Formats: sequence, C-alpha cells, structure tokens
Amino acid sequence: MGVAIRVENLTKFYGGPTGTKALEDVDIAIEDCEFISIIGPSGCGKSTLLRILAGLHGFDTGSAAMFDEGVDAPRDDVGVVFQTANLLPWLTVDKNLTLALEIRRGKAAAEAADVGAMVEMLNLKGFEDKYPHELSGGMKHRVAIGQALMQNPRVLLMDEPFGALDALTRDRLNIELLRLWQRDRKTVVLITHSISEAVLLSDRVLVLSERPGRLIADLKIDLPRPRDPSITRDMPAFGDHVVELSRIMGVV
Amino acid sequence: MATPPRTQSNPVVAALFFVALAAAWEFGVRLFGVKSYLLPALSDIGVAFWEARAMLLDHSLVTLGEVLSGFALAAVLGVALAALIHVVPVARSTLYPVVIALQSIPKVGLAPLMVVWLGYGFGSKLVMAFLFAFFPIVISTLGGLASVPSNLEEHFRALGASRWTMFARLQVPAAMPNFMDGCKVAMPLAVIGAIVGEFVGSNNGLGNVILLATGSSQTALTFAALLTVTMLSLVLFYVVELLSKFVWWRAV
Ligand SMILES: Nc1ncnc2c1ncn2[C@@H]1O[C@H](COP(=O)(O)OP(=O)(O)O)[C@@H](O)[C@H]1O
Ligand SMILES: [Mg+2]
Repeated sequence: MGVAIRVENLTKFYGGPTGTKALEDVDIAIEDCEFISIIGPSGCGKSTLLRILAGLHGFDTGSAAMFDEGVDAPRDDVGVVFQTANLLPWLTVDKNLTLALEIRRGKAAAEAADVGAMVEMLNLKGFEDKYPHELSGGMKHRVAIGQALMQNPRVLLMDEPFGALDALTRDRLNIELLRLWQRDRKTVVLITHSISEAVLLSDRVLVLSERPGRLIADLKIDLPRPRDPSITRDMPAFGDHVVELSRIMGVV
Repeated sequence: MATPPRTQSNPVVAALFFVALAAAWEFGVRLFGVKSYLLPALSDIGVAFWEARAMLLDHSLVTLGEVLSGFALAAVLGVALAALIHVVPVARSTLYPVVIALQSIPKVGLAPLMVVWLGYGFGSKLVMAFLFAFFPIVISTLGGLASVPSNLEEHFRALGASRWTMFARLQVPAAMPNFMDGCKVAMPLAVIGAIVGEFVGSNNGLGNVILLATGSSQTALTFAALLTVTMLSLVLFYVVELLSKFVWWRAV
C-alpha cells in the first residue's frame, strides 16, 4: 500500500504573510485506505487543511500531494463532504445523490449509476423522490455523504460532517459510516471535534494545536476491525485512547 | 377563561359592504344629479360594458399582444443582462450604473419619443411595455444570482464544475424564485407601459378606447374600458402567480 496523501512543511496564511497564520509546518503522511481523523480546537486550521487537500485553497510554503501529484485544483478522485449538507433544494434525493457524478462524469454516468443500491445502503428507501426540505437533518447528511460515495472516490475528505447534529443522530451516522467504510475501504480524512468519534472510527488520530495549527500528536488507534460501536466502546483500549487524547488536548 | 375577540374576516360582512358601496354609487349619482359625463351610474357602466363587449375584446387582444411581447422581450433581455452583469466583472462597473441611470428616467416621458421613432403601431407599444417591465426583472434576477449560498458554490467548485455548469445547474435555479418575484412586479407594469404607449399615439388598444371615449364624453365607456384593463392586468398577474408555483424552492 502506497501513500495516498503527503503534506510537508505546509504553512498557510490568510491575507499574506502579515495576515492570519492558519497552519504552520504541518507534516502528514496518510496511507492508501487509511482512516484518519484530525481533531483540534476550533479555529486551529482544520478546515483550512481540508480545503487545501480538496484543491480549494492555495498555500504559502511546503507541499501537498495526493498519489504523488501536487494538489493545486480539485481532483476527480476525491469526494468532499462539508459540515453543511450541501444539497440542491430543487432536486430530489435521487438527483442529489447522482449530482456529483453527473458534474464530474456526465449525464450518462449519472444515469448508469446504481442509485437504488446507495439508497438502500443509506437507509433512505422510500425517500428517493423527496426534496431536501422534506428530510430530517440526519437524512440530509446521509444524502450528502451518499453523493460523495456515488463518485466512488479514492479519497474521502469530510469536514465535521456531523457537527451540526444531535448526539443520537451522530452516533447512528457514525455506525453507518463505519459500516460503509468497512465494506468499501478508501482513504478517509475526517475532521471532527469529538474525541470518541475519532477513536471509534480511525486507524490514526492527528491532533492540531491552537492556531496556527501545528501537528502536536499522531496517535495510532489499536482497536480491532471490524469495529462495532457497542462492543468497541467497552474495550479498555478505547477508554485509554480517549483519555490520552483528552490529555493532549488539555480537556482533562 | 375569556378567549380573545376573533378578528378573522367575515365574507358575509365583506360582501354586504361592497353591495352597500355599489348601492351608494348607483343611487348617490341619481340622488345628487351628478352629470353622467363626470360619473356615470354603476348600471350605466355595466350597460356600456355589455354593449361594447365585442369591441372591448378586440382591443383587449391588441393590448394583450403588446403586453405579452414587451414582457417576453423584457424577460429574455433582462435575464441576459443580469447574467452578463453577474458573470463579467467589467459589466458590473460599466453596464450596471447605466442600467440604474436609465431606470431613473421617467419612462412615461419616453412614450412620445417612441411614437416618433416607431410610429403609431405595435412597435412603440411593445417598447413601452418592455421599458416598464425590464428593470424589475433585471434587478430581481441580479439579486437572485447573487443570493446563491456560498457553501453551495464551494461544493460545486470542489466538484470541479465549470463556470457554465455552475451557472446552469446552480445559479440559474437558485435565482428562479427572485426572477419570478420580479415577473410579478413586471407584468402589471408592462400593462401600464402598453396603455401609456396607446395614450400617446395609437389606432387601437384599450388605451386608445379610453382616450376616444373620454374625448367624446362617453364616460361610461371609459369606465368600462378601465374595468377591462384592470381585469386584463389581474388575469396576467395570476398567470404569473400560477407559473411561479412551479418554482417553489428557496435556495437557503
Ligand atoms: N477565508 C478566510 N479568510 C481569512 N481568515 C480565515 C479564512 N478562513 C479561515 N480563516 C481563519 O483561519 C483560522 C483557521 O480557520 P479554520 O481552518 O476554519 O479553523 P477550524 O476549521 O479548525 O475551526 C481561523 O482563525 C479563521 O478565522
Ligand atoms: Mg472548521
């Protein structure tokens, strides 16, 4: 397995070198098919890092590469899920699910795609013809994630995709995300502010410092896969990791 | 516990009020001997309307043709101009101020000029309807194009959407509700524009009927023609209202 994402000495300013320094000397290497979480205090540059990887933002010094190619524009094999479920209000669930596919690979690809399977996988059966305003918050996020997965990306970048949801819905979506990833592994970078979410899902958790974001910890999560939330959460190692990360982040 | 007094409108009361109003008009005119060329009795207006119905219909169709053509032109050119101003930065700093300046010209004052330039026929009325309808459509469409949520724009950029895709799949549908609101304002204005054009110089149309009837002291016919214009305007407005039901979404 090769390296999917390599970030070296990455520094990013907003508004030039005299402006806001969002990231400082960040070094990250992510293996292909690895599930990585990035946590850190709010405003430390997590979204900035993700946007750089998504090809949406430039940076000042250092390098960011995916599959050994420098990232300077959005890539075809990357799916991005933002904190807000970015659905088009005038399209049904079906059409929203295939939107990314259609924009990237055209109408024919969208029509050929197996939307039914995705709907089933996301537990959205019966909602195919509904519009976003007819869905609950959790359902909207499932559609947003489904849209990214429909492209079958090699890399999935997620910026606090469940940040705006209540704890219960969040738990449920975590379980689904785990199930989806275990079925069809890809490289995942998940930004979250939930330590337990990061531990539950990831192979590795990276911790960023207060702004400017620097990498202050890189913790391997030793928990067996496939994971089942109800079982994994009761393992002693799970608690140990949560405690360690909390200590690093200064929560306890 | 006492319930608050009910303030909902009672249709019977409303109907009685209008009947009373109509009766006051009808008998007031007779009672006080108001000259019929000043204010005809309601029944006289009804009779005039009925007797002239075929003629009024003919002229309605003329005015309708002018209104619809002018409105259609305003919709097409208005959307095109709004798109141009939105997409081309230079247009915003050059064309947009011109649009605002032109908007400030009292359009009624342009009617004689249009008759001089385009003659007594259809053309000058079309242009007048166009002039009245054009600006509300430009302004509302511009507002709509600018109202696209930034998170959706970023989503499209992350998908590598071309400018055209962004425009056609995101900005245009997102601007539709505002565009329809603009049409609701523009349609009655187009009617006013056509009537003003007919006032200034014409051979037919409802404005022409009003002018001739008033000139020959057929005040009952003037009122009948005014009634016809009002009905035409209302019908056209409700057609737009009906069409705007197809644009139920608000991109929020
Ligand atoms: N477009 C921008 N322009 C200027 N400053 C920005 C912009 N985006 C983010 N920032 C600043 O950069 C820092 C990091 O932001 P962000 O990456 O969104 O943090 P996080 O996602 O970790 O909360 C913050 O201080 C924020 O105010
Ligand atoms: Mg963020």
